[in-house]
Amino acid sequence: MLNDIPTTKVARAARFAKTGLNVGANYIKHYAKKAVGAESTTEDLHAANAAELYGTLSEMKGSVLKVAQMLAMEKNMLPSAYADQFAQAQYQTPPLSGPLVVKAFRDAFGKSPFQLFDEFEPEARQAASIGQVHFARKNGKQLAVKVQYPGVADSIKSDIRLVKPIALRVMGLNEAQVRPYLEEVETRLLEETDYALELRRGQEIAAQCQELAHLEFPAYYAEFSTPRILTMDWLTGQHLKEFLVTNPAQDVRNQIGQALWDFYQFQFNNLHQLHADPHPGNFLMRTENGGTLGVLDFGCVKDVPQDVYQLFTALLAPETFADETRLAALLSEAGVLRASDAPALRALYLRTMHVSLELVGRPFRQATFDFGDPSYMAALYALGDDLMADPELRKQREPRGSEHFIYLNRTYVGLFALLTELKASVRTQ
Amino acid sequence: MAYCGGYTTMEKDRIKQAYLDFVLNEGHPPQSVFKLTQQLGIAEQEFYQHYPNFEAIDREIWADFGRRARETAAGEPVWESYGSREKLLAFYYTLLEILKQNRSYALMSLRRSLHRMPGLSPRVLDDFRQDFENFVSDLLSSGRVSGEIANRPLVQDGYPRFFWQQALFVLGFFAKDDTVNFERTDAAVEKAVTLSFDLVGRNTLDSAVDFVRFLVRR
Repeated sequence: MLNDIPTTKVARAARFAKTGLNVGANYIKHYAKKAVGAESTTEDLHAANAAELYGTLSEMKGSVLKVAQMLAMEKNMLPSAYADQFAQAQYQTPPLSGPLVVKAFRDAFGKSPFQLFDEFEPEARQAASIGQVHFARKNGKQLAVKVQYPGVADSIKSDIRLVKPIALRVMGLNEAQVRPYLEEVETRLLEETDYALELRRGQEIAAQCQELAHLEFPAYYAEFSTPRILTMDWLTGQHLKEFLVTNPAQDVRNQIGQALWDFYQFQFNNLHQLHADPHPGNFLMRTENGGTLGVLDFGCVKDVPQDVYQLFTALLAPETFADETRLAALLSEAGVLRASDAPALRALYLRTMHVSLELVGRPFRQATFDFGDPSYMAALYALGDDLMADPELRKQREPRGSEHFIYLNRTYVGLFALLTELKASVRTQ
Repeated sequence: MAYCGGYTTMEKDRIKQAYLDFVLNEGHPPQSVFKLTQQLGIAEQEFYQHYPNFEAIDREIWADFGRRARETAAGEPVWESYGSREKLLAFYYTLLEILKQNRSYALMSLRRSLHRMPGLSPRVLDDFRQDFENFVSDLLSSGRVSGEIANRPLVQDGYPRFFWQQALFVLGFFAKDDTVNFERTDAAVEKAVTLSFDLVGRNTLDSAVDFVRFLVRR
């Protein structure tokens, strides 16, 4: 009645059922056109279905979109039309009202935030992915207080249950084929709603990365935190976009880029655990001490199993790149190549992976690498477009490779994007 | 006289509390007024000095919930800095806290007077409703002064009833909510109140009416 966004499970399910019907209608139109001999490509059909699904998803907002975004990032998993639609997806939640923030504190601490802190700003300073960040002061310390939207964990769970069958049908994927990938995404999404876990991981990783230069981590305050509220130091600095507007000197960019690179390499090689969300909003930069990088948000952390670590490292090693048999063996181990593949298909995968790995692994094979070189990012984008345009490859809709690669890829894509925007030259070995 | 007044309110509260305890323990109202007064050790006629029947106690308990919610919410130091939308939100959240402490009674009394007539307000909420609509009218008129709410002379008299339907929606949602700590109800309140204030605030509709009026008067 009053709720514009369908809130109850029944209403959501009804919305999805409607999409299912429309998608069905799209198929009927497609085959009807074909029957009368009209030109209707499968491409048209995919585009119509993607528009339908996207319409539903944007109406649902929230977690469904996040799942969609994750799937969209694994572009080779999806027909391009869906990927294009999903790429537009924006995750957004309206800001929490002041009274709801007060209530969240009362539920958690039995006190209002105004009693708990010396000073508390009722207006949020920024939006976080599933909540918002408030500014507070306690004993002279400036604090960032992240408050989670109520019911997020619950609606993520029910959305995933609802979206899965329909999304799979629309995308022409088979549940069994994508189950491990979806499970991986679901696990990470649900972990993100647990601020107690984030607090522990933030503290652990910060402690282990203490030796790394020019990095800064906020201290977390367990006494002012719960699974839904997270209190940490308010770090100063600017996000990438604003920081670049100030025209920082090349040395500063290099130093920050170096800090970023070292941070990720240390996590991957030594901790086997990664801050898997290198989104520009999670880093604060300032020129102090020749360039300092503040790291926020340990909501999404990927543990890298030992075998996956070895596989990933081996794939990027220079000797693999030079040796076709070794590459084929590693790709079989990773599940990208299968014994049942026809020789032509096998050759196609091998060729594609060879090109991709050459390009993606380039920074790892040189002593220093200049991410400011515009031809490198252009080559990366061109590669993506080529892969998407390859008609043979596009027919291969079924996803391949270890599910652990989803977040590893996401991490390195994000890291490379940050470094190229920074135009930093980095000592990579 | 003052002593006597204090004494009667005390007795009234005792009767109310005894009734509440009985309903909570037994799951239904006492079979008769006599049974309750006997338990309390007072004469039956004393009961009628305060209440005509048990339904009146139910209505008063609900009205108490509403009053306590308004008073507690208005007691917050931030109350004065809130706009009308936030004040209504604060009221709902405080009310839900109070109802959470009394959920068993709230559900029992609501169900008892629902009568399988959807859309009709439960009788037990009569007094609560009156206070609520007054409260909303005050919020709306101060919202009109601050410009938060559009002035629409012909329709705005219907607003308190519209907001009452919203209150019923919230109560119904709370009654059916099966999430931990009723978090979905919090989200429902947030969305419903935001939408309603978007509707009563100055929006596309006002510009459209203004435009049509301009064309007609040409």
